[in-house]
Amino acid sequence: MFFKRSQQDGPAPVVDGEVTTVAARPQPLDASELRRVVAPSTLGFKTTDELQPITGLIGQDRALKAIQFGANIKSHDFNMFVLGPPASGKTTAVRSHLGPRAAQSPAPSDWVYVYNFETPNQPKALRLPHGRARALAKGMVAAIDELRNVLPAVFESEEYRTRRRAIDEQFRSTNDEAFQALSAKAQSQNIAILRTPNGFTMAPMHEGKVVKPEVFNALPEAMRRDVEMKIDALQKEMQTILERLPKSDKKRRSDLSELNEEVAKRAVGDALDDLEASFRDVPDAAAYVLAAGYDMVRNVGLFLPTGEEENAIVKQSVDSAHDPRFRRYMVNPMVSADASAPAGAPIVEEINPTYGNLIGRVEHFAQMGTLVTDFLLVKPGALHKANGGYLLLDARRLLLSPFAWEALKRAIKAREVRIEQPIETAGFISTQTLDPEPIPLDVKVVLFGDRELYYLLAAHDPDFTRLFKVQADFDDTIARSTENDLGYARLIASIVKEHSLKPVDAAGVARLIDEGARLADDREKLSIEIGRLADLVREADYWSSEANRKVTGKQDVERAIEEQIRRSDRLREKAQEVVNRGLVLVDTEGSSVGQINGLSVMQLGSLAFGRPSRITARVRLGSGRVTDIEREAKLGGPLHSKGVMILWGFLAGRYALDVPLALAATLVFEQSYGGVDGDSASSAELYALLSALSGVPIKQSLAVTGSVNQLGEVQAIGGVNEKIEGFFDICRARGLTEKQGVLIPKSNVQHLMLRQDVVDAVRNGQFAVYPVSTIDEGIEILTGVKAGERNSDGRFPAGTINRLVEDKLRSFAERGRSFARSANGVAAAGKENS
Amino acid sequence: MIAHVAASDEDRGRVVLHLQSGLPNPVALDAAVRIARAFGSGVEALFIEDEQLIDCAAYGFLRELSFSGRRRGAVSPAGIAHDLRLAAQGAHRQVELLASAADVPLQVRVMRDEPLRALAIACAESGPWNVVAFAEPFDDRAGGLLKQMLQEIAGTTGVVMAGPKARRAVGPIVVAVEDVQQLSGMLMVAQRLAALDSAEIVLLLIAPDEERLAWMEGEARLALEDREGVQIRCADLARGEAAAVAETLRRMHGGFVICQFGGLVVPEDGKLAALASVLECPLFLVR
Repeated sequence: MFFKRSQQDGPAPVVDGEVTTVAARPQPLDASELRRVVAPSTLGFKTTDELQPITGLIGQDRALKAIQFGANIKSHDFNMFVLGPPASGKTTAVRSHLGPRAAQSPAPSDWVYVYNFETPNQPKALRLPHGRARALAKGMVAAIDELRNVLPAVFESEEYRTRRRAIDEQFRSTNDEAFQALSAKAQSQNIAILRTPNGFTMAPMHEGKVVKPEVFNALPEAMRRDVEMKIDALQKEMQTILERLPKSDKKRRSDLSELNEEVAKRAVGDALDDLEASFRDVPDAAAYVLAAGYDMVRNVGLFLPTGEEENAIVKQSVDSAHDPRFRRYMVNPMVSADASAPAGAPIVEEINPTYGNLIGRVEHFAQMGTLVTDFLLVKPGALHKANGGYLLLDARRLLLSPFAWEALKRAIKAREVRIEQPIETAGFISTQTLDPEPIPLDVKVVLFGDRELYYLLAAHDPDFTRLFKVQADFDDTIARSTENDLGYARLIASIVKEHSLKPVDAAGVARLIDEGARLADDREKLSIEIGRLADLVREADYWSSEANRKVTGKQDVERAIEEQIRRSDRLREKAQEVVNRGLVLVDTEGSSVGQINGLSVMQLGSLAFGRPSRITARVRLGSGRVTDIEREAKLGGPLHSKGVMILWGFLAGRYALDVPLALAATLVFEQSYGGVDGDSASSAELYALLSALSGVPIKQSLAVTGSVNQLGEVQAIGGVNEKIEGFFDICRARGLTEKQGVLIPKSNVQHLMLRQDVVDAVRNGQFAVYPVSTIDEGIEILTGVKAGERNSDGRFPAGTINRLVEDKLRSFAERGRSFARSANGVAAAGKENS
Repeated sequence: MIAHVAASDEDRGRVVLHLQSGLPNPVALDAAVRIARAFGSGVEALFIEDEQLIDCAAYGFLRELSFSGRRRGAVSPAGIAHDLRLAAQGAHRQVELLASAADVPLQVRVMRDEPLRALAIACAESGPWNVVAFAEPFDDRAGGLLKQMLQEIAGTTGVVMAGPKARRAVGPIVVAVEDVQQLSGMLMVAQRLAALDSAEIVLLLIAPDEERLAWMEGEARLALEDREGVQIRCADLARGEAAAVAETLRRMHGGFVICQFGGLVVPEDGKLAALASVLECPLFLVR
């Protein structure tokens, strides 16, 4: 097929007026070089059912070794950051790597918060052996249950009541009897003791009735004085009795407290003895049980029924664990393992790493319009749950959660988890709240994120590199090899197994491998974006089911790929439509001076597609400047501007070594209304400039991509497949003429994984892909005119592109010089005249 | 024997609540209001200004000693009258709150007289079907006053008192039966009170020996016929002491204790010390 083109387009070199045409231009690529395909027969299996699913990752040795190192090294600041593209199986790989190691690690301690009987707003943290937190919590509830039954009975007992009555009687005898004796004495002296609203008074009495004042005043003075003296004496006596009352009442209360304490102590001791004994090997826990017992004795009233309880029509006992009176004796298990659960270090993944979910929080509940809290409302965070093991976090989510990143660093640095309200850490409020005792932290944190995030953190947060010293870098791609192709097939088998899909046959797998190379944008590589691969396999399975097939085949994979593209293809179609309808001017036949088809790539979500754009160049005499209109209009990005400046270097270096570059040139992406960046169009811009300078037209049936350096070498660019396909689609829509094609950098040939229809068109001689390594090669293909090399006299041969360009630039320089001379002459004459 | 309080639609009789200070016992007030509710009657809150206090105040040399004994000062008739007026207002306000909440008709009244005579006058004016309720907690010396009152005030059919340990007026109605002849009257009062809260009624039969107890139980069962919701218990009175009876009553955690005057529970000699030291609910004494 290639020969067919050569016969049509390859006339013998002739000197045609001023230009020299060439017959032997650089050769287009063969169809076999446009796509690397796997032959199903080389895979060695019929369906994925025959394959052993892969458990780890393929081709990620460096990252896996880093993970192993990070997991093994025992230091609080050797935490890991796992870099890599999303959905590349990083988390699964880390989990599968850490799992066996965690299973062999010692089980971490349980942690509980208990009431601090000395400082109630600072709950105490108790470390307990693995699996014993629940036993302590249950033991305390059981003890409370027992005491709720035992203590009321003890305080109703005959023994207690007798002893209490004795105390009461003692009090009464010392006061009531004194009062009664005083009353009797007063009565014997005919003095009445009367109670007033505010106290007591005394008055003379006769036959049980108070003597009227007028009767009393009629008595002899001596008698009156005698009564007054008696009343005065009796009042003093009464005063002594009344003043003694508080003291004796205090003594009574003290005696009663002692009695209550003694009685309660026995019951509390009986209830807590077993629990205390079972935790004697944990001194802190045993000390807590003793402290709780002491508090119960001091607050024994909590266990005695209240008036309301006694009067309740239906007596219903409240679960002790939910009775607000006994909250202080409950145990709050922060980290509590089931004693029967398998031992091993925890691997915890927190998918929503907010501050509270990470560090823990103190919750509140509303009571009478106020928010209240206690130590039972202290809730654990992921750091508590992962303590003694591994904590996996998504770095981006972590950084997006206010306060979470700083809190995590604080915890790692301090090696303890301290639960604070975020607003407290900022120092904005000073309201008293709970200040739980911090819990020592021994955790290995594994962050997952993309490379950009890693390098941003490393650049801007000095703590980051100090605390995350292990970098596990997951590659986006793996190299193509027979071994890796088979590994890829096993990876597909594991996706099939995990999602319970139908088996995929060898042709289907081969097509998936091809697509893996396409996703990698490199036929020598395979993409290991597991997520995208899994999506494709599942979609292929769907189309296979739609077609009632029991095995997923190549046609199902291709259907899945087509449908994926079709679902997100609207904008690509629109872009192509405006070209086909002539709204965006792109020629695919004929020739024009200073005009060329450049190629760009648009990335919309997961879909990327190429789009041709017309680039034009105009030249004239000037002061030596190439104007990038995109940049002037602030539509050009820095890389694009850099590419344009390189053109200036190329022109000056090649054509104007000994003359001034008296050129003014303008370059523009026609009908481009958005931003332009990247330097992949710089070779196309240079071709347009050379065409404009030489006056040799460029074939519009060709499009160009590639960047260029100052030496005129064409360099690799990205998105080569999409760019070629974008121009191919336009050409095909208008009808393939067998003259159409694309010039690409030679170094991009290794990336070619073109669509099958493009490959078929090339095979049929309807389309061509030219690899070029220099501008000279490219301009020859584009113009059909030799570029030309300098002769021994230092000049380019006549009729070549380079000679024409050089001559044009020299003529610009000459004209510039004569223009300057004449201008200077006019100026000098003007001076003389004046 | 009957224990009756006139209903609101009867012209005569109500619960006469004797108030004497500004700090009445809340359980006693509650008891008075509950009885009024039980009988569909009203409450007459009668604050009695003891005439003798006014007389005392006229003595120039007398001094008033505060409850704590730390303050001693002169008294005057005007000062005492003022203090009594304030106390009356305070007491009446507390009763008003309870009566209003229970939707019980209330009359308030202040009388200046000797206390028993004032009560007798009030009962005579509104009697004969009155129950006298004492707002002040009774003590071991209250027995003498009770005897005198029941003798002198003919218009009363019962007396309600609460001890210093009283803390509830809700719960089972305990009827302390020492004389089966009085059972039907006490049972009627108990049923009225029990109906307020669907409380149960417990008959506590008290007798000096088992034979007597057995006979009383038989009589009680005959009297009860097929009435539901009434339990019968027999007091173990081997020692026959008032203190033992009082303790038995306490352990029954009653809302009211109904008993007769002049038995083991409330002896005629007026010694109420045992009862005063343990009883946690009001006492309804029937004549």
